[in-house]
Amino acid sequence: MTDDADTTVSRRGFLIATGIAALAAGLRASETAAQTPAPAPIPGKERLIVRSPRPLNLEARLADLDDFHTPESAFYVRNNYDTAPIDPAQWSLRIEGEVDNPVMLRLDDLRKLPMITQEVMLECAGNGRAFHTPRAAGIQWEYGAVGNASWRGVRLADVLALARPRRSGAHVAFDGADKPPTPQAPDFIRSVPMWKALEPHTMIALEMLGKPIPHLHGGPARALVPGFVGSASIKWLERIMVLPEEFDGPFMKRSYRAPRAEDEKDTYSLQSLEVKSLIVKPAADAKLPVGRTKVSGWAWSGEGELTGVDVSTDGGRTWMAAQFVLPWDRYSWRKWEYDWDPRPGAYTLMARATDSLGRIQPTTRAFNPQGYRWNVIHSVRVEVT
Amino acid sequence: MGGLALGAVVLGGARDARAQEAIPQTEGWVLVVSRCVICHSVEIAVQQRQGPIGWGVIIDRMVTYGMPLSAEERQALIVYLVRHYGDSQGR
Repeated sequence: MTDDADTTVSRRGFLIATGIAALAAGLRASETAAQTPAPAPIPGKERLIVRSPRPLNLEARLADLDDFHTPESAFYVRNNYDTAPIDPAQWSLRIEGEVDNPVMLRLDDLRKLPMITQEVMLECAGNGRAFHTPRAAGIQWEYGAVGNASWRGVRLADVLALARPRRSGAHVAFDGADKPPTPQAPDFIRSVPMWKALEPHTMIALEMLGKPIPHLHGGPARALVPGFVGSASIKWLERIMVLPEEFDGPFMKRSYRAPRAEDEKDTYSLQSLEVKSLIVKPAADAKLPVGRTKVSGWAWSGEGELTGVDVSTDGGRTWMAAQFVLPWDRYSWRKWEYDWDPRPGAYTLMARATDSLGRIQPTTRAFNPQGYRWNVIHSVRVEVT
Repeated sequence: MGGLALGAVVLGGARDARAQEAIPQTEGWVLVVSRCVICHSVEIAVQQRQGPIGWGVIIDRMVTYGMPLSAEERQALIVYLVRHYGDSQGR
């Protein structure tokens, strides 16, 4: 498969091996599907891959992620626990803890506050978990636990101000209506530091893609913490606790944690998304006609600002700059495009994003047992005839 | 091949040809479809691939969450999961 080891060929061989490992992981996932009856598609979400019916975990197919706004019919659903639909007229939000004025608010109370609209992408911390070797425990997401939408709602800072947080309040915990199936299992509660809670983009969202947030996406109200891993954006929000420390629960102390660097044993609680990109066109294994075409996809970088996406058509040997395409917002994903005029042949296309935090997508990701932080360069093989 | 081999059963829906696969109905599988699914669908379990330590950690945590399982059943379940949903590179 590989020639003599000059650095370029051995790097390409390594990249091929990484791809084969990822492919093998994907093949094992379809063996799994073969061993149990395929789960029934969910009404309104038929285009999504059912990773689990209960709790509901649905993944978008790459081909369906071709619009700046991911339509509801292609927007992924990740539930740690399921819950019944909530009547907006009955909905309330309690704010308690390190506050001088504990309050209970209804939707009408929120609607009295200034409303903002922004474009925000969400990505599950475990997106790409299926590609880790050895295999990591958790939902075996591949590419599509990611989506971008317009969100309308109120600033979390304005809501917190109603409760008058004390200076001792350093973290803000979110608790949704979803509950575990047994009393012994932990409630799904996560917190973010106060600096992020008060940041002007952090919101309590009431509308998604121009209408009240659908039940599966956390309506009538959810936390929306742009730039952080999806699990910070707690759905079906019903309680906010202002705390002096990070919330003391398993979804902060045990899950959603990873080592910072390859050789580190200590873990940190995940906050910012990784810098990452996806190739949406052309599709994997596409057969393209000779002639001008565009390689395109999405890129994002959590708390960083994207500084570029580079594209390779020779399996990572050489890289050329792609162009970003409007629109984008501070915390939305960005479209990128690269003009390509190939001769006949087989090509391995790759995209590599970089950001203002000095991050660059890697060619490997160190194994972490829970399978987080997967942002390895996406590679797609195509044939031009 | 231990346990109660109840015979292979072909399951599957008309819409997915990949589902037409035989699943050996051993004691381990019976535990999966009767205990694990108390809290979550079987897909949560069978999409995992772990070594013996990895599966042991997961099953022990499920017991702390309330899954009923005797010591003997735990053994049968973990052996089953490692045999059919194992990762040779995993712990």
